[in-house]
Amino acid sequence: MDRAETEAIREVLGGNRDAYRVLMDRHFSSVARVAFRITGNEEDAEEVAQEAFLRAYNKLPSFRQDSAFSTWIVRITMNTAINLVERRNRDLSYRAPRIADEPSAAEGTVRVADGQAGPEGELLGREAASLRETAMAALTPMERAAFTMRHMEEVPMSEIAEALNITVNSAKQAVFRAVSKLRRSLAPVAGGLR
Amino acid sequence: MKHFSEEDLIAYQLHDSSNETATRRHLEECVECATVSESIAETLRAFSAEPVPKLDLERNWQRLRGNLSVLGDDQPKRVGLRWKLIWPAIGLAMVALLVVIFIALHGSYTMKTRRNVAINGHGPLTTEPRDPAIADHLDSAERLLTEVNNTQGPLDDITREQAHHLLLKNAVYVHAARESGDMAQAAVLENLGRVLTTLDNEPETPHSTWRLRLEMNTSGLLLDIRILRQNDDGNQGAAQ
Repeated sequence: MDRAETEAIREVLGGNRDAYRVLMDRHFSSVARVAFRITGNEEDAEEVAQEAFLRAYNKLPSFRQDSAFSTWIVRITMNTAINLVERRNRDLSYRAPRIADEPSAAEGTVRVADGQAGPEGELLGREAASLRETAMAALTPMERAAFTMRHMEEVPMSEIAEALNITVNSAKQAVFRAVSKLRRSLAPVAGGLR
Repeated sequence: MKHFSEEDLIAYQLHDSSNETATRRHLEECVECATVSESIAETLRAFSAEPVPKLDLERNWQRLRGNLSVLGDDQPKRVGLRWKLIWPAIGLAMVALLVVIFIALHGSYTMKTRRNVAINGHGPLTTEPRDPAIADHLDSAERLLTEVNNTQGPLDDITREQAHHLLLKNAVYVHAARESGDMAQAAVLENLGRVLTTLDNEPETPHSTWRLRLEMNTSGLLLDIRILRQNDDGNQGAAQ
């Protein structure tokens, strides 16, 4: 952790709330990315980012400054995001994709793939996002978090394991299960995926 | 030929394989595993291109800042502050308790010694005469003053004689009231004595009696006497 962050934390702990802005300036982008990867939508990502920074702020007196704030805040973000996804999953009606003739990302609707459409066109077309979203929705929050962190954010397995409070092997298994599920979810419509 | 598992191929595509060279060599030879591996790679590519929206830092900071409490040494200070304030608070509570006790005792004393306090604009009037004979005196005085107040012209000799007689008795009752500490009753009787003295000594002129009547009305002397007498009657009735 660099000197500016150490100083900012010291000031925050001394009662200067505005010093927290320094930490937010530096890490908001990565926190927002992680939040978006796990939640899959901008609205929830913003909620997670807010909550993660608030949690970190309130836990700052117990933060051990020999570790990196970035690792710490990302870990909090991942847990916060997983919790939110789990809450969303409990509410079955929330963002559940519905079948429609004309798929709409805004309305959360998807169209059932037909055999006449070309697989390349399906994947590259406007339905691709909805299909990916549907496939991701089939993952558990843990699998989704592990997969997105490893594949999209290229976070090492050891850090993912630490953030999720699981063993490295468990983190790997979560990623493998995620990729396997995604592959099978896309296979019927992708055509080329076997 | 031994094939690689899906997990091994996923690890290979994610660059997490412990034996990447051996896997690559196998994929060059095994079509079946190469097909699965390419399928995994295609899946990973499908989930690689998703853009991340840029969230508004300033807006999020402003929202967050409103929820941030002030950290630091304030919590221990608050505890210390509580202990610093606790003794003055206890002191204030004790003072308040003493005041309440004093008021309760004083009120109890007042209830015992001065019940039925009436006010007519000149201070409290006791309604419990010490001497039962004062009831007759007050009754006589009230009748006399009522007569003086309701008649016109100079006072007759009988009225003057009654006034003189009441004035003598009134002096005794004033003294008795003072001795008993009932200053309110003594004040009313003194006022009565002043009017009786005037009646006894003033020359017989229309002007003097008019002045007397005016003084009795404005001073509320009649009212004071009526209050004293009526309450005294009530006390006597209760005693019987």
